[in-house]
Amino acid sequence: MRQLGQLEAAVMERVWSADAAVSVREVLDALQQERTIAYTTVMTVMDNLHTKGLLVRQKEGRAYRYRAARTREQHAAEYMQNVLASGSDRTATLLHFLEQMPADEVAELRRALDQAGNGEAATS
Amino acid sequence: MTVPVVLVVFAIVASVLGPRLLRRGDWLSRSPRMGIFAWQALSGSVLLSALLAGAALAVPALPATASLAEFLQSCLMLLKAQYSTPGGAAAGITGAVLAVTVLARYGFCLARCVVSARSSRLEQLRSLALVARRNDRYGVLVVDHPVAAAYCLPGRGRQIVLTTAVLDALDEEQLSAVLAHERAHLRGRHDLVMAGAEALEQAFPRVPAFRAARLELARLIELQADDTAVRRYPRLTVASALVRLAEGGAAPASALGAGGHSALMRVRRLAAPSNPLGPGRRAAIALAAAALLAGPVVLAAVPAAGIAHDYSCPPAAVASHEDMAALGCLPAAQACPEGAGRS
Repeated sequence: MRQLGQLEAAVMERVWSADAAVSVREVLDALQQERTIAYTTVMTVMDNLHTKGLLVRQKEGRAYRYRAARTREQHAAEYMQNVLASGSDRTATLLHFLEQMPADEVAELRRALDQAGNGEAATS
Repeated sequence: MTVPVVLVVFAIVASVLGPRLLRRGDWLSRSPRMGIFAWQALSGSVLLSALLAGAALAVPALPATASLAEFLQSCLMLLKAQYSTPGGAAAGITGAVLAVTVLARYGFCLARCVVSARSSRLEQLRSLALVARRNDRYGVLVVDHPVAAAYCLPGRGRQIVLTTAVLDALDEEQLSAVLAHERAHLRGRHDLVMAGAEALEQAFPRVPAFRAARLELARLIELQADDTAVRRYPRLTVASALVRLAEGGAAPASALGAGGHSALMRVRRLAAPSNPLGPGRRAAIALAAAALLAGPVVLAAVPAAGIAHDYSCPPAAVASHEDMAALGCLPAAQACPEGAGRS
């Protein structure tokens, strides 16, 4: 499972860093500089990514050319939105350093810290 | 019959008075590790007394005897005695249902909590493989995002995740303090502490003590992680990291509930000098927590200890050999010494 995730990530990395739509062959060539991997493996992964909606493809001649459906930033934004929305009620899943809070409460935090800083400066 | 009643009363008293006592003053915040222990002991004690109350209804006080054969034999006698009367049987079945329900409900909720947390973490790790970059210098995953967020995914394949906004907002020392805080969560398996508390609240939503325990534990694990961070970094560094991340992660007021209260408390606590409880008070808390857990067990065991010496075959059981034969336990009944029931 983990392996597959990493392979998908590596493929997406190549697709995102390319300027134009890429073929399976081009992704394969790029990947083969770091690892030995079969053409069919890459083709299967890219087909899966297309099924999942991460890649869009267009037929060109006998092969497909693939583009990312969305940018990495869009994926990151969506992922972080979920994480931030999960807040404090899913602490068994992940533990935040700090919950998000409204601006007026943030200002109150800043005042508390500044008071402490001043107190320390005055006593030293 | 008195044992189950006493245990139920114990559970009610503990769940009503316990949270009030633990919340009084700030002494648990001064030693959060003891605070976590105290709240867990309280929850465990309430759960245990409910469980034992059911068990005590279902099974009459078990005699403490030396030999296994004798023990089994007297068990049979006592069970037979209780279940031969309609009232006794009804009470026994009620007790068994209570005990099994309590245990099964908690077990189910705990399993559901752990499984759903794990699968949602796996899903997150898969997304992170796509969107995050590994930062080997700090051993963390970094996501490109303008809102400051720092968190950890515990369990298998545990990870600390930061957004790029965190790297921008904090200096080197503040960042190290944040990482120390998150590592304390991971090492302390605070996710399991919370899974246990969340499952208890889900299983018994009508018990306010369990809700209180979940909320207080969520607060105390943060304090404990802060305490781990201040062992290596100045208190004000941790406090300023907190404030800077709050500033970098500020959300529209409508989006969320009250995260600010606990953060404010953490900043004030970090801004003040360290003030842990002394060893005497810590020992007192440990003792009280141990007593809370031992209480229901002792209450359930008292009659058993009493019965150990004056055990005898109940007359009702001896009188009906036919019934015992029907239950398939004639040998045990016959093994009862002649006249033991009448002496």
